[in-house]
Amino acid sequence: MESLKQKAKELLEAGEIKAVLGYARGTSDTRRPHVAMSALEVDKLVADQACTTNLANLLMKHEIKHLGKLAVVASRPSTLRSLLQLTAEHQVADGAILALVPAEGGVKQLGTAQAFEEHLALVPQKKTEKDQALLDRLKAMPRAERFAFWQKEFSRCMKCYACRNSCPMCYCERCTMDCNRPQWVPVPSHAVGNQEYHLVRAMHLAGRCVECGECGRACPVGIPVHLLTFFAEDSVRAQFGQGGGASATIDNALSTFRPDDKETFIR
Amino acid sequence: MSRIGVFTCHCGENIAGTVDCPKVAELTRQIPGVVHSVDYKYMCSDPGQTLIKEAIKEHKLDGVVVAACSPRMHEPTFRKAAAEAGVNPYLCEMANLREHCSWVHEKNEATTQKAADLVRIMVEKVKHDTPLTPIKVPVTKTALVVGGGIAGIQTALDIANAGHQVVLVEKSPSIGGHMSQLSETFPTLDCSQCILTPRMVEAAQHPNIKLMTYSEVEKVDGFIGNFKVTVRKKAKKVDEKACTGCGLCVTKCPNKKIPDEFNEGLAFRPAIYVPFPQAVPNKPTIDTANCTYFKNGKCGVCSKVCPTGAIRYDQEDELITMDIGAIVMATGFKLMQTDKFPEYGYGKYKDVIDGMQFERLASASGPTAGVIKRPSDGKEPETVVFIACSGSRDRAKGVPYCSKICCMYTAKHTMLYKHKVHHGQAYVFYMDIRSAGKDYDEFVRRAIEEDEAKYIRGRVSRIYEEDGKLIVKGADTLMNGEPVEIKADMVVLATAVQSQDRSEDLAQTLHISYDKYGFFAEAHPKLRPVETNTAGIFLAGACQAPRDIPETVAQGSAAGAKVAALFSQDELTREPIVAVVNRQAPPLFSTCTGCFLCQTACPYQAIEQEEIKDRSGRVIKTVAKVNPGLCQGCGTCVAFCRTKAIDLAGFSNEQLFAELMTL
Amino acid sequence: MSEQFEPKITAFVCNWCTYAGADLTGTSRIKYQPNVRVLRVPCTGRIDFMLIMKAFERGADGVMISGCHPNDCHYTSGNYHARRRWMVFRDLMDFMGIDTERVTFSWVSAAEGAKWGALVNEVTDKIRALGPNTEQKQLVGLGVE
Ligand SMILES: Cc1cc2nc3c(=O)[nH]c(=O)nc-3n(C[C@H](O)[C@H](O)[C@H](O)COP(=O)(O)OP(=O)(O)OC[C@H]3O[C@@H](n4cnc5c(N)ncnc54)[C@H](O)[C@@H]3O)c2cc1C
Ligand code: SF4
Ligand code: SF4
Ligand code: SF4
Ligand code: SF4
Ligand code: FES
Repeated sequence: MESLKQKAKELLEAGEIKAVLGYARGTSDTRRPHVAMSALEVDKLVADQACTTNLANLLMKHEIKHLGKLAVVASRPSTLRSLLQLTAEHQVADGAILALVPAEGGVKQLGTAQAFEEHLALVPQKKTEKDQALLDRLKAMPRAERFAFWQKEFSRCMKCYACRNSCPMCYCERCTMDCNRPQWVPVPSHAVGNQEYHLVRAMHLAGRCVECGECGRACPVGIPVHLLTFFAEDSVRAQFGQGGGASATIDNALSTFRPDDKETFIR
Repeated sequence: MSRIGVFTCHCGENIAGTVDCPKVAELTRQIPGVVHSVDYKYMCSDPGQTLIKEAIKEHKLDGVVVAACSPRMHEPTFRKAAAEAGVNPYLCEMANLREHCSWVHEKNEATTQKAADLVRIMVEKVKHDTPLTPIKVPVTKTALVVGGGIAGIQTALDIANAGHQVVLVEKSPSIGGHMSQLSETFPTLDCSQCILTPRMVEAAQHPNIKLMTYSEVEKVDGFIGNFKVTVRKKAKKVDEKACTGCGLCVTKCPNKKIPDEFNEGLAFRPAIYVPFPQAVPNKPTIDTANCTYFKNGKCGVCSKVCPTGAIRYDQEDELITMDIGAIVMATGFKLMQTDKFPEYGYGKYKDVIDGMQFERLASASGPTAGVIKRPSDGKEPETVVFIACSGSRDRAKGVPYCSKICCMYTAKHTMLYKHKVHHGQAYVFYMDIRSAGKDYDEFVRRAIEEDEAKYIRGRVSRIYEEDGKLIVKGADTLMNGEPVEIKADMVVLATAVQSQDRSEDLAQTLHISYDKYGFFAEAHPKLRPVETNTAGIFLAGACQAPRDIPETVAQGSAAGAKVAALFSQDELTREPIVAVVNRQAPPLFSTCTGCFLCQTACPYQAIEQEEIKDRSGRVIKTVAKVNPGLCQGCGTCVAFCRTKAIDLAGFSNEQLFAELMTL
Repeated sequence: MSEQFEPKITAFVCNWCTYAGADLTGTSRIKYQPNVRVLRVPCTGRIDFMLIMKAFERGADGVMISGCHPNDCHYTSGNYHARRRWMVFRDLMDFMGIDTERVTFSWVSAAEGAKWGALVNEVTDKIRALGPNTEQKQLVGLGVE
């Protein structure tokens, strides 16, 4: 922790960066994102198990983007995965953002997509036991039951779009949901529109979701929406051997193809 | 509110036999936006078209739906009629009541209802149609021909003779390709050099042809009529203008032990060399990989002896960029390499050679001046075994296809051999004799009947050396697989024809497709054999598939004619069914977020990046932009874009959505 | 309600292969059931998964999607891109419990008029047997008894 602060101060002092995006103490035991532009603000930084937010989402916000060159505290591997995916999608230039990774007895400073990839190779990506259990349970259900499960979940969705807004990959300035010529998905929250929204969201994240789980955590009514994109990611990985957030240089799985892609359902 | 006219055609009994056409007219009259709806016996007939044109004027129609046959049949007809009456042709659509309805269903209410539905769909489409104008793109009337074998030479000459400029790019120091290495050619046995050299010279001297030898294509941008091509002109280390081609340097170069590519390693050449006596251009090149001066800075003999001071050790590669309207690929083929034949000892036994080496032995300009001598000891071989299909039609060697030329040149080789070694005996192991072609089968028969070549149908399993002989072991499948053993003095393998090394990379540079063997792919195997799927790029010769000279020349001329036809126009007209990325008022500028995932999805590389800048030139945003010259209108990008920033004219999101909403 | 259930089937087909193939079904006078409504698009690459989704919203009981065989796409690779999308979309539909039995993907070439006719019949029969797409129709509140 101290070495993280030390490093942040050094970088700020040397003028290498304009700000550090990290975590600070929130109310009670929570952690909230924190932007430090001075030594004083750096002292408020914390880095511990309670820091769950994927900060990459904030990096895409205008207010933060315009601060100048940034360092981001990447205690979550998903933050690095997001940066890789965002680089692949031309949203972040390779080398534009420094990542500070708290590590055993110090802090690792990573400056390039390649360095992110190398670091990520050391930390295996794994779903939480809870998520995995629910995924497995859903997959084992008869289809109609699964339909009922999701319809019940979606029935609570009020289309607040918190899931979308918290996602680092939902950076589009105009989402399909907000498109009205034609109005692909009805605005009000009702059964058909909700199903369509979640189908569209999952499809749009297939091959791009970095599996941070932010969307699920953001949902005020506790719908496990992250499982939809997790599932899509599993499907993409299983069928095409590559998923989101793995590299800044591989082309997206759904905007490329192999002539010998194997499926079993086309007549 | 639109003013749409619906015109339902009976097509005689073809539609009216099962569909109640007056009812369709009546039902569709009630669709909001439809102001006129009639049925008629034959809409495509002159009176039918007149009926439409008059209705357009009388009812001030701004959109037309013709409910008749397939749009694939008569869309141009009715669009033209609409245009003549003053309605933009792209505001005229067809509902397919014949192929998709009357011909496939029984006569009943459901069929008539379906017909009305089909019209409804198209009415909604027309409502969301926008007037479109065909796209015009200018044409640069300079062609690029890549590869200077007989294919490239022929193409270049044909285009140049049609009055257009041609740049002929050849990667080796001389044009000529494989044909320049051949001795005599089937099926006439005329000397290859004698027929080729005049064409090489003609190409070099043609006022419309710019020859660039020792050069390679580095980069291709742009699209039909408007390519931008960068060519790397490799440094020959010799100033072509100063050099007179006297050849003193070549004779004086002390480093003379470099295997000669032109003679397939059967002779040697110096480090500064002209590939062969008739080379065009006839000026030397320094092979820097083998030159002593480039290896350790010593020597410099050529520079000292050159009377005009043309040697330029410091000459560097040049990158030349040019505007090109059409490209013809003519990069030819290569032969399968020695390491693929351990069972034949090819590469191990000096007297196991390939067909091209035999051509050099038989050639009057070759290392033996046309006398057949075997490489190991220079003796005249008295028994020669030729093995056809060496590697071809052999899955294990990765070449399941037929190399096409080997049957013929093997027959030729047996004849050339017999003509030179009268007491010699030629054996040919073959799988099938494929000699389709004018005078081809007669040619093979001559080899067998007059020149007494012994043809054995079967594969050779092994070759090994014993007492100075090559023991060829095989089986005769026409004799129930009986084993055959021949003691040969020399063995000639008709090795498989393969695509050039790195042809895939070259194809990717040009954005053309290639098959799984690395041969460039034609747009259609039957109907568009010399075009690629990329508009403005054509194919000639063995780079597309194994070919002999007559076919190569025919295809070269065909490609030349295609280019000449293209260049006969000053502008190209294209269907306006292309994708567009929207532009909006600031601060959004476009709903495109610049993810550029569409870029990799586009099959035609039609999507570019555009920087939107503020007044001071600072980049505010980088967004996608479709090049309408390249876009073919497939819509793959449209379905892919998450922000719906790309749309396809003629098949827009709004149109498809509206069509769907009628159902 | 004693009448036989007549399913509503929406088809999206590419212009160059399946649309032409369906034309050939007509030219060959091969008969099939009239339940299908075909929407023509340039290429399967153009078929947005949202169109399939919207077709269900409009009360389709079955959806057909068809284009050129691999390697035959008029635009060289639109169908390859489409195929990848379908592979994921179909998985996702199933994971959300939407019945994938009601979506039929196929390759029908311009020469396969007979295949198109047979396929439409097969799909129509199958969807008729499955019955109305009640699950989806209930979401919209479309006339389900
Ligand atoms: C042993 C043998 C005997 C034959 N005998 C006969 C015969 O008797 N009669 C007959 O009709 N046919 C014969 N053929 C076939 C004949 O050689 C071919 O049909 C002919 O050479 C094909 O011409 P081409 O121009 O397409 O290719 P090539 O002759 O291969 O010419 C291609 C040219 O392109 C150049 N090139 C390659 N890559 C590039 C690049 N990237 N950039 C620029 N330039 C490039 C090459 O250097 C070469 O000059 C024979 C072939 C063989 C192997
Ligand atoms: S979809 Fe959810 S899990 Fe995936 S990247 Fe977005 S927020 Fe993270
Ligand atoms: S956060 Fe939850 S309630 Fe809000 S839109 Fe997403 S799923 Fe619906
Ligand atoms: S048009 Fe769409 S897919 Fe293409 S770069 Fe823009 S947002 Fe991305
Ligand atoms: S419509 Fe097809 S060809 Fe045109 S830009 Fe989009 S993907 Fe490329
Ligand atoms: S044109 Fe038929 S699938 Fe692309």
